[in-house]
Amino acid sequence: MELTVNGARHQVEIEPDTPLLWVLRDTLGMTGTKYGCGLAQCGACTVLIDGQTIRSCVTPVESVVGSNIVTIEAIADDAEGRKVVEAWVDHQVPQCGYCQSGQVMAATALLKQSPSPSEAEIAGAMINLCRCGTYNAIASAVRQAAKA
Amino acid sequence: MGVSPVKRLGLFVAVVLAAGAAGTWWTTHIPSSPFDGEAKPAPGPVEKGEYVARLGDCVACHTTERGKPFAGGLAMGTPIGAIYTTNITPDKETGIGNFTLADFDNAVRRGVSPDGDRLYPAMPHPSYAKMSDDDIRALYDYFMNHVEPVVQANRPADIPWPLNMRWPLAIWTAAFTDPGTYQPKSGEDALWNRGAYLVQGAGHCGSCHTPRGLGIQEVALDESDPRYLSGALLDGWYAPSLRNDHNTGLGRWSEDEITAYLKTGRNSHGVVFGSMMEAFNNSTQFMTDEDLKSIAHYLKSLPGDAARDGKPWQYQPVAVSVSGSAAPAIPGAAIYAAHCATCHGRDGRGRGEWIPPLAGVSSVLAPTSQSAINITLNGAGRVVADGVTDAYRMPSLGSKLSDQQIAEVLTYVRSTWGNQASPVTAQEVKALRAHTDPASPDPIILQMR
Amino acid sequence: MNDMTSIDSPSVAKSGLLNLSRRGFIGASLGTLVLGVSVSGGRKAFAQATAPALAAGTNVNAYIEIRPDSSVLFRSAFIEGGQGIFTAMAQIVGEELDVDPARFVVECAPPGPDYLLIGNVRFTGGSMSVRMSYDRMRKLGASGRMMVMQAAAARLNVPLAELTTEPGRVIHAASSRSLTYGELAAEAASLPLPADAPLRAKADFRWIGKPVARLDMHDKSTGKTQYAIDLKVDGMLHAAVQHARHLGAEPLSIANEAQVRTMPGVHSVHTLPGAVAVVADSWWRARRAAESLQVEWSVPAAGTKNMMPADFSSEEHMAKLKAMSGDGIAAETVGDVAKAMAGAKTVVQATYDAPHLAHAQLEPPSALARFNSDGTLDLWLPNQAPEMFQAAAAKIAGIDAAKVNIHSPVLGGFFGRHFLYDSANPFPQAILLSKAVGRPVKLIWSREEEFLRDALRPMSAVHFRGGLDESGMPVALSAVSMGEGPAGRWFGRKPDTVDSTTVEGIAEKHYAIANRRVGQIHVDDPAIIGFWRSVGHSMNDFFYETFFDEMADAGKQDPYELRHRLLADNARLRTLLEAVADLSGGWKRGPFVAEDGTRRARGVAMASPFGSEVATIAEVSMNGSDLVVHDIWVAIDPGSVINPAIVEAQVNSAVAIGLSTALMEEVVYEHGVPRARNYDGYPILPPDRMPKVHVRIIESGAPLGGIGEPGVPGVPPAVVNALAVLTGKRVRSLPLSRTDLSGTI
Repeated sequence: MELTVNGARHQVEIEPDTPLLWVLRDTLGMTGTKYGCGLAQCGACTVLIDGQTIRSCVTPVESVVGSNIVTIEAIADDAEGRKVVEAWVDHQVPQCGYCQSGQVMAATALLKQSPSPSEAEIAGAMINLCRCGTYNAIASAVRQAAKA
Repeated sequence: MGVSPVKRLGLFVAVVLAAGAAGTWWTTHIPSSPFDGEAKPAPGPVEKGEYVARLGDCVACHTTERGKPFAGGLAMGTPIGAIYTTNITPDKETGIGNFTLADFDNAVRRGVSPDGDRLYPAMPHPSYAKMSDDDIRALYDYFMNHVEPVVQANRPADIPWPLNMRWPLAIWTAAFTDPGTYQPKSGEDALWNRGAYLVQGAGHCGSCHTPRGLGIQEVALDESDPRYLSGALLDGWYAPSLRNDHNTGLGRWSEDEITAYLKTGRNSHGVVFGSMMEAFNNSTQFMTDEDLKSIAHYLKSLPGDAARDGKPWQYQPVAVSVSGSAAPAIPGAAIYAAHCATCHGRDGRGRGEWIPPLAGVSSVLAPTSQSAINITLNGAGRVVADGVTDAYRMPSLGSKLSDQQIAEVLTYVRSTWGNQASPVTAQEVKALRAHTDPASPDPIILQMR
Repeated sequence: MNDMTSIDSPSVAKSGLLNLSRRGFIGASLGTLVLGVSVSGGRKAFAQATAPALAAGTNVNAYIEIRPDSSVLFRSAFIEGGQGIFTAMAQIVGEELDVDPARFVVECAPPGPDYLLIGNVRFTGGSMSVRMSYDRMRKLGASGRMMVMQAAAARLNVPLAELTTEPGRVIHAASSRSLTYGELAAEAASLPLPADAPLRAKADFRWIGKPVARLDMHDKSTGKTQYAIDLKVDGMLHAAVQHARHLGAEPLSIANEAQVRTMPGVHSVHTLPGAVAVVADSWWRARRAAESLQVEWSVPAAGTKNMMPADFSSEEHMAKLKAMSGDGIAAETVGDVAKAMAGAKTVVQATYDAPHLAHAQLEPPSALARFNSDGTLDLWLPNQAPEMFQAAAAKIAGIDAAKVNIHSPVLGGFFGRHFLYDSANPFPQAILLSKAVGRPVKLIWSREEEFLRDALRPMSAVHFRGGLDESGMPVALSAVSMGEGPAGRWFGRKPDTVDSTTVEGIAEKHYAIANRRVGQIHVDDPAIIGFWRSVGHSMNDFFYETFFDEMADAGKQDPYELRHRLLADNARLRTLLEAVADLSGGWKRGPFVAEDGTRRARGVAMASPFGSEVATIAEVSMNGSDLVVHDIWVAIDPGSVINPAIVEAQVNSAVAIGLSTALMEEVVYEHGVPRARNYDGYPILPPDRMPKVHVRIIESGAPLGGIGEPGVPGVPPAVVNALAVLTGKRVRSLPLSRTDLSGTI
């Protein structure tokens, strides 16, 4: 099957129910997207499909053929993504950093959908887990990115 | 061949009266079997009997997760106390090693043990009664000659005296079972008749899918009654209608889709879960394609009931924003967006056959929300198809969401995308939470050998 | 199938933290790098091979590699896992070396005697990294600067005294000449270690004590940081395991091995100690195949090492702990508790308990093993103690420790997870699998397998008795703690002594209670236990500080005022307590009605963990049956501070994990198996339950304390004390999710 990841087309031969996450990580070698739980619980594997967040660990690759898949590797190519990364660095958000690819993707999707999100929208969109507890910094950074 | 309820009640009264007169003889006697006096047959091919055991799903109840095959010991809750399934390995002391074919037949098809005790109807002998002599013989051969004997004493039921007296079960059996094996219905083809035989007999589909009466009996044992396989609540799961009900049954499923569901555990309408996951893991996937086709063919012949089923479902798109705030009037929308949408889709349509839709599926449109609550609270057990564990499973949300939140999100699910089912209350969630546990994340394979 | 069950599972540092052989490490250290050698040529340089052994933490060349562009590759003795240690090291060393910390690239050092900075071993833990190394790392930086200046003096042929530095550059003002560090690096590296490099005056610090930006922010915000789980080497295969559900059980047979071997991408099927494994061409394929294996497991014989009894239940074990009686072995005795208790006007009694906890770090454990043609083994793995893993890996591989190259990628969270624990680390399996297939193997534990084999925070219960005099002042306190501690488990426990990790946070509290006794009754914990962020403090401060409020209530004292009075002679702690009250707008216990109309209350707690002092206030309300924590105020005194921004971040992090334990975390065993195997059954604090966090740092000038852990212990007691004020309900068992709070308000 053919996948479009960060604008590039890739031919992959893989079982159709393979989670997108593992196609990205093992088949395409893009390890910025993280495996945390495999059960849609933590959000470390968040990527964008046609601009909306999905958790790639529970997304059968077959279901995203023909979609535009964007991962953290292409975050600098995205206008909202650049704002989000800048805000993340300004607010010194990451600690261990393991969840942050997913957090940045979630924030980027939020800003695409809602350029000036309300607090409720931020709370509704930023639902990925962070064991280091960077939640307050994340919320601050999203607010900054929205203003940028 | 069905027995009308009125006739059934009459029979029941007659039997009670007769019992008074005939005393204990009738309620403890050993019924006759076509195999009476038959010598123990020589061992036959294992495949034949093993297949019948798969059809009947004997392993599901007579083997525990950590126990030896068919050694029994599974606790089955009843309102009056737990009962434990028995050792049906050929061990002579603790199992059924001393059973003659006739003894075996009486236990399986008539619910009577060699000492005259009546089996609790947790043993689906009213269904097994329809099994052919040939299948019973093969099954006997399987258990006697191909199953390893295991020394494991049966555990007595936790039911206190006098409720533990079993003779009244004879009356129950007489009142609520149709005697005799399955007889092909003229006017129906062989495929249909094979399907009917499997569904009504060894497959005992009605045990879960047919509503039960006051005596906890299945209200119908075949298609002559429109309540047969019309959906029922059992053990915290709602087994949906297997009739052609458009919303709540198999009305929108093709025969091929039914076959695929029973063979692979999934199709575009849904994935096996709850008790059906167990029936799939241990039984239906092992059936031949031909048998599965026959089952599908038979089920598709059962008419739906539009009055019961309601207005036919049609998909209605609803956009859920990234934060769920697009529909603030429905409190469940935000919970759906956060906890459900990533798998089942913001559009409720799932992901192909891998992750089931919530829009329009019978388990969501069901008249009661028990199954939806149960799987939301406790998640799904593992589906193991052809020896391979599923790629995706439903997590349990019971530790994350309150009763109120689960009620809200399920109310949302049951009333969105064209779904028109009743709201869910926090009380219902609370009640189910109190007596259910999260599903095991480990694949559970009950070995037959 | 490839049967490797006969190979012993690793016997971890039972030989003792302090008894590790140094021989292997000296050999391994020959590969360490020298200052000034270019990146390409540096890896295998043996320039220091003949040099006499230097004291740990002094060998500049082992730590500092100045690159041609004058940036610094710094080999940190400590591993980065989010606590900011790489940045802190760059600040401390950069300050003295005179290189801007932003010009540092920091990685974790390989095994070697130069890095044994904690006693004579090395680990990242106990919030010790900075406080155990601060002086030596300053001197190391200063020595490096001196060496660069000496090289410049020789090159320019001028007296050393005429040289100065500015960041990354040596200046000879008299001749208006300057050289970059990069230009001098090679010569500097060949110089002997200077004996007396001067240290910069504190008043002149530019980076130490300042909120210097962390070095890893951009990479971590763009997915570029590579964790162990992300690594790849040529020819590598992927592996996944299925563990025995009961620790101690071994695989007897696999019913469907032939079928599984035909699954897509599967290379081979293996049995391992306590596990079965599949090696495949991708992890997902390996994982599905491993999970599909239908294994018959043995029933471990009684007495099998580390075995988990098939009937173990958390509930029953807790009942057993709580049923223990007696005084136990004394950990602290002051005055005469028995006499004081007998004379007390009021005696308060309570029993507290806390459950097993999982680390639940977000990066699942992994290990990548590669045997090389020269007989060496490369091992990449998340770890907090490279030398200990090196020794253990050598034993598994059957080679000399000197032949094991340990690579320590940054950690996707650790919190104590990546110490060497029997059965809790994947590297032994990776080594065995790599050996078996003759290719590099990367093994990842699925989240489910991780929850099955994590080393847990121990389960514990404490009996308290407090005696109050006529005026309601505590005059006697007795505490007996039941359970087992991780220090005793892994580093040896003597029968008549108390493992300090079981009583820290209960013993040696600073309150002036004249008569006190803290005892400990050892009860074996059937689980594999480990160090969990703030260790014994994570629960003991909850027990003590909540019981303290019970004493205050019984004596009709305000708990803040009572703490203040009992700290009358401790200026440092009184200041700290006043600081947190001030930070929160002045102490008010409540209940009171907040601006938004909710009824709220506050609780206070103090803790003295890991050399730092902490005071915490929490404000809570109820929303139906759910507790809402609105604000947490933390005043922390670590003596002095290297990076206040990191301190604030670490306190935020500690509040999150502390609150998570208070609200929702517990590992529950039933029938010898943990019920939860993923975050669905073991929830951790989600964003919508994160309170606002307010931090005030107090620099008392006391000796340096820790930062990574100290913020944790005060949170559960502050929250539970606030809950008690609000609802009148005293909760003595964590997490709060066990207690039905509906109808309490």
